[in-house]
Amino acid sequence: MIRLENVGLHYGQGPEVLSNISLHIKPGSFHFLTGPSGSGKTTLLRMLFMSLQPTDGDIHLFGQNATNVSASRRAQLRRRIGIVFQDFRLLDHLTTWENVALPLRVIGKRVSNYKEDVTDLLQWVGLGDRMYGFPPVLSGGEKQRAAIARAVIGKPELLLADEPTGNVDPQMARRLLRLFIELNRLGTSVIIATHDHQLMKQFKAPRLELHDGTVEVIG
Amino acid sequence: MATDDRLLESHGSEIKMTEFYAPARQTRASAPIVPASSVTGRSLTVVVAIMCFLSCLTAGFVYLLNQSAAAWFADIASEVTVQIQPIENTDTEKRLGQVALYLAKQPGISSVKPLSERDSAELLEPWLGQTEALSVLPVPRLIALQIDRRAPPDMAVLARNIEDSFQGVTLDDHRFWQAQIQTVTRSLGLGGIAVLILMGAATTAIIVSATKSALTSNREIVEVLHFVGATDTFIAREFEKHFLALGIRAGLTGALFATIIFILLPALIRLVGGNVVTAAEIRRLIGNASLDPPGYILLAIVVIIIAALCMITSRYGVYRILNSRQ
Repeated sequence: MIRLENVGLHYGQGPEVLSNISLHIKPGSFHFLTGPSGSGKTTLLRMLFMSLQPTDGDIHLFGQNATNVSASRRAQLRRRIGIVFQDFRLLDHLTTWENVALPLRVIGKRVSNYKEDVTDLLQWVGLGDRMYGFPPVLSGGEKQRAAIARAVIGKPELLLADEPTGNVDPQMARRLLRLFIELNRLGTSVIIATHDHQLMKQFKAPRLELHDGTVEVIG
Repeated sequence: MATDDRLLESHGSEIKMTEFYAPARQTRASAPIVPASSVTGRSLTVVVAIMCFLSCLTAGFVYLLNQSAAAWFADIASEVTVQIQPIENTDTEKRLGQVALYLAKQPGISSVKPLSERDSAELLEPWLGQTEALSVLPVPRLIALQIDRRAPPDMAVLARNIEDSFQGVTLDDHRFWQAQIQTVTRSLGLGGIAVLILMGAATTAIIVSATKSALTSNREIVEVLHFVGATDTFIAREFEKHFLALGIRAGLTGALFATIIFILLPALIRLVGGNVVTAAEIRRLIGNASLDPPGYILLAIVVIIIAALCMITSRYGVYRILNSRQ
């Protein structure tokens, strides 16, 4: 699923943010990505999502070299990945429903084929009464749930989530974790970057611990 | 796995389809991903409308000139003149009659009309004015011939036969004027095309600049689209939709104003055309100054070209900018 070979990253002439990371993440696995602030969790997720290129080494996704891929190839690979950003990245001029439906619209699906799925998912994440509201009027937690719904609506093969429960209460955090687990059971590989130890205690999964630019697999 | 089993059991609801009904009007499946207002503002619409208006005017006037020129050309081509130079101690009137009789027997000539002395004098009046001096000047006499267009004579043979048969008689088939008209028409046509090309280039430059601004102001949307797996083609299509709509809207507005101008043009010429002679000159240049149906079709073609230019330019503009950002 994901293979990193001696991956390193440094900005310009600066020190290495990530150094000589080699990893193999199997299909259908579930990992927490953890580490202190500034350890490079978001950077690693961005590299896995191909929005950042490593300065050293290679990244392989779905059996293909994902380093320096063409724009069209990158788009095709990203369709197999769902991502939840820390800052949500919702489009303010689209309703919550339209934001969540965006990945399906982009791949050319007919609205009649996904209308109910989007509505059901929004109901499930507790945004049933907010689906026709616009992001600026949503709370932080609601935006986060909308962002998660958008990431999972296309049933991705790989889900990358950056602090996905950072803005929700513990009960909603458990509910969202359950969504990730359910997706994982359906075959999606999941990597969740988090500081939330309570969350990690609720589900036994290997941890990728980042410190000093290197990664250690625990569990 | 026991932990997550407990977790799953603790939540009653599974991810199942519910009976929730989402009204179609609320789902807005076709809501634009890129807001139109962030791509094509009113000022851009006005600028493109002005470009289209000027392009339609140029195309329309070139069309009118071509139509007039074609009419002149047809008139000139269907009529030739035989000129009889006065020769001392000869009866010019008698020679005129002999030449007219000879011409009437030639094939390909549908009518022969000898012009009287008075007719010839009237032709010179615009240059010499009304003067008695004309009666004493050796003014050539003319015979106007109408050519049978279905079976025209060989002009070179006819001219040679006339010159061989009669002394001091020449045939003028107006080739000089035909060549002049063709030169003027071609020059004006090329001038019009050059103006249209410049208008197209200016519109292209405006759209390129607008595309850059649109991509800059919608950078976040473009990023999100890339993150959810949109190809550059999809993104370019989202932008080009707006530019096509702009092109059609602005194009139709420009063409509408140009149409109003062409409808009012005959009246405007009468109002500001000056004296009768000036009005007559303008009429000679652009006919009655009103477009016929093919002329209006030409304006529609200009609108289509402007709209296509807006769409294609924005598409390649988006591609180019996205490629440069790789």
